[in-house]
Amino acid sequence: MTEAAFSQPASKASLSEQVLDKLLSGRGIWPAVPAIIVLSVVAVIPFVILLSLGFSDIVVSRGAIVSQTFSLSHLTNALTDPLYWTTFQRSLTLAINTTVLCLLFGYPVAYLFLIGGKWTRRLILILTIAPLLTSGIVRTYAWLVILGGRGVVNSTLMSLGLIDQPLRIMNTHWAVLIGMVQIHLPVMILPLIAVMSRHEGGLFEASANLGASRLGTLRTVILPLSAPGIGTGAALVFTLSYTTFVVPQLLGGGNYLNAATMIYEQVVFSLEWSKGSVSSLILMVTCLIVLVVIAMITNLFTRWTKGRDA
Amino acid sequence: MIKALRTASLGDILGIGLILFVAVFSLLLLIAPSVIVILISFDTRAFVSFPPEGFTLRWYAEVFEQTELVGAMWTSLKVGLMVTFLCIVLGVPTALACVRGKFRGTTALSVFVLVPHMVPGIVLGVAVLFAGALVGVSPSIWLQAISITVFIIAVMVRTVQSRLVRLDPSLEEAATNLGATSFQSLRTITFPLLLPAILAGAVFTFVEGFDNLSVAIFTHGFRDRPLPVELLALVQYTSSPLVAAVSGVQILLAILALVAVSMSVGLDKVNE
Amino acid sequence: MMQEKADLMYGSDIAAPVLSIGAVSKRFGSITVLQDCSLDVAEGEIVTLLGASGCGKTTLLRCIAGFWDAEQGAIEIDGRNVSGMPVNRRPVGVVFQSYALFPHLTVARNVGYGLRMRGVSRSEIEARVAEALDTVSLAEFADRYPAQLSGGQQQRVAVARVLVLQPRVLLLDEPFSALDAKLRGAMQVELRQLIKRLGLTAIFVTHDQEEALTMSDRIAVMRAGQIEQVAAPDTVFDHPSTAYVADFIGTSNFWDAEAGNGTVALPDGQTAQTDLSGKVQVMTRPHNLRVAPEGTSPWRGTVSFHRTVGALIEYHVDMPDGTTIQVAAMRQERASPVQAGAAVSLSVIDPSYCAVYPI
Repeated sequence: MTEAAFSQPASKASLSEQVLDKLLSGRGIWPAVPAIIVLSVVAVIPFVILLSLGFSDIVVSRGAIVSQTFSLSHLTNALTDPLYWTTFQRSLTLAINTTVLCLLFGYPVAYLFLIGGKWTRRLILILTIAPLLTSGIVRTYAWLVILGGRGVVNSTLMSLGLIDQPLRIMNTHWAVLIGMVQIHLPVMILPLIAVMSRHEGGLFEASANLGASRLGTLRTVILPLSAPGIGTGAALVFTLSYTTFVVPQLLGGGNYLNAATMIYEQVVFSLEWSKGSVSSLILMVTCLIVLVVIAMITNLFTRWTKGRDA
Repeated sequence: MIKALRTASLGDILGIGLILFVAVFSLLLLIAPSVIVILISFDTRAFVSFPPEGFTLRWYAEVFEQTELVGAMWTSLKVGLMVTFLCIVLGVPTALACVRGKFRGTTALSVFVLVPHMVPGIVLGVAVLFAGALVGVSPSIWLQAISITVFIIAVMVRTVQSRLVRLDPSLEEAATNLGATSFQSLRTITFPLLLPAILAGAVFTFVEGFDNLSVAIFTHGFRDRPLPVELLALVQYTSSPLVAAVSGVQILLAILALVAVSMSVGLDKVNE
Repeated sequence: MMQEKADLMYGSDIAAPVLSIGAVSKRFGSITVLQDCSLDVAEGEIVTLLGASGCGKTTLLRCIAGFWDAEQGAIEIDGRNVSGMPVNRRPVGVVFQSYALFPHLTVARNVGYGLRMRGVSRSEIEARVAEALDTVSLAEFADRYPAQLSGGQQQRVAVARVLVLQPRVLLLDEPFSALDAKLRGAMQVELRQLIKRLGLTAIFVTHDQEEALTMSDRIAVMRAGQIEQVAAPDTVFDHPSTAYVADFIGTSNFWDAEAGNGTVALPDGQTAQTDLSGKVQVMTRPHNLRVAPEGTSPWRGTVSFHRTVGALIEYHVDMPDGTTIQVAAMRQERASPVQAGAAVSLSVIDPSYCAVYPI
């Protein structure tokens, strides 16, 4: 028998390889440490600072913070300012409307994906993912073109003789809503597809086999099972539309103030950083509350349907 | 199909028909704006109007002649590449630690990485700007890159994680049994098998680095305006089809990226 | 004293074992998965760790391979303690249940992987890989990818991949479980012949007793982290050392009895030898019992069921106390089998093949 290969030592690894091996073989947290450091420094700490700024009076000089003293005034001012209330309420309404409309328009697409063949599915995926790879500005600009004075809508309506003067669609909250819905549609559709495809095949055929109509299958089987997808999609769309900046800015005109544009204005233009900080904090807290509500509703719905069939 | 129609009731047909109608309408809604924009980008007239007249590529040429636009595109390209690089270098080892790690905080680590992503982009941007002001770090291309990285790294980590979880752990065990060190096993077995997921993650992180506005708008320096910021200004002050041409370029790049991903990984995998 | 007891329980003494497992224990948190396991494996021997899932057989295998460390006890290969040795330096080759073939490498590169990690020259790798593939009759598949191979072929690649490194011990974790039943039998015989031909030492892990009985020189029956018995297949089958082993391997009949004075009375009137006294369990295999017309022995019952399996007739006989005794008889063309419902008497053919266990 030839010399056992195992008696041959493994090839000599370089020093750096040996060090790397030590760090990796322990199955410890080492590989993640650089990321943890970067995330703490660039996200966690700044966030804490943001918090602190909201609760202090600061003096800014030449782009740097010179002094900082504790104060609750910004918070109380914000909470008692009617402008804040209307602005946030507008953002909230817009976000909720967007979410609901995205759901109403997006769910049928997911359903089509479910019952569709290979090419239908491919087409849906391309149409849904491609917009996500372009920037928000590009997508919003398209609506500027469509809804503008000489845009698609008006030109078509005028050439058809239905109106004499261009409709003023731009710079209204309708324009913002339409733009928001179309732009965030993919974000609602993708999680729905992901969740639905996990359940596909047998379950739906079984239901049809048992005599349920297509509509019935949809109502009693597909809908409850896709609840987690609805929850995820709704959460994502809500967060994005609640905090979106571009669409209201471009489609809503200069006087349209929502939370994000207000923060932008406070931080970049009027340099009222403490105000900007408080606004950001309120934005985050309210967003979190709604997300929790969505999660609870989804949970309830899932449990209700599960319990009902038991 | 016919058989299905025969056995279905009228209410059934109407109901499903309505749903399918809405689905098709939504799909058209998704694509119509892009199509219109591309049509307009060929318009010969110097203002935006529909329907477009004539056909010219002059706006596309002008895109690459305007120095600020070109400069912004280069900046965005650089930011995109930096973000992708950082996400790979920081994110892949993190995914490895989350999935293969034997310490107590693996779930906590996963959640920790996700946190910056859950925060609205503008809030993160504002926070970074303020923190920078406190320590004297002013907005720059680096600040942009690092803040967007922190924002989007969760996507890379999650993509790699889900591929890693489905990778048979006995593959790495077999490699070690055959004589490989941990590092060798990672290099020769794990990494090559993770490559599709890393590429998919890279596409999304690059796109975010390139297209992000919410974080970049607060962290970009005066001299490094990324394309989205530049476009924002342009849109508000220009009325020529120039912006449509820029959009056309972006749409084309998006389609190319999609084709690349679908050929390497397959579109369905991306959606997980 | 301990050595003698160990010898008695664990089989004949072995000179210079290749693998020596000494009182190995392992815990996961508060659960003990291995308790005081000891086993010596001689050169060229095939031992099977046999047991139900959760008995610790895979755990023991992984401890030998080095994937897990034992808390107590020592594992020695060629007399050298490997407990501190990392996985990649141990002279063992593992064939995994899923084969763990690297999907992105060709068969040839899979087989050559270990050699490449050792910095062996390219030409030598080629030669050795060709030789290994020849040994498992897969030479023409060298450039295929694992996904293009059948289950049986994949298994052979997995075997070739470790063979090429000439390990001191071959460890195989349920290597046949992924194959369909028809293929399994043929591959078991083939693999055993290959291992014997190369003079390798191998440890199999399985829950399939037929596989164990086919493949092994010795079987180690495991249960709840302990080795119940280590012996040749015949010995384990004919003289199981505990009630669990008796029940696990083959079919068994149990009944309670009273022992004393070195004997225990059998229901048919005979006696069997035993050192135990007091309440005991007696076990015997179906083929050690005979069905006879009623009245020939005090051990009475009613046939409830019979079936013919190949050369044997299997009878299920209901006893007055509600238990069922299984009897296996050779088929006789002339005589017809005893019909269901018939009253019969049972008798033991050879009392020395009755095993007696404490209750």
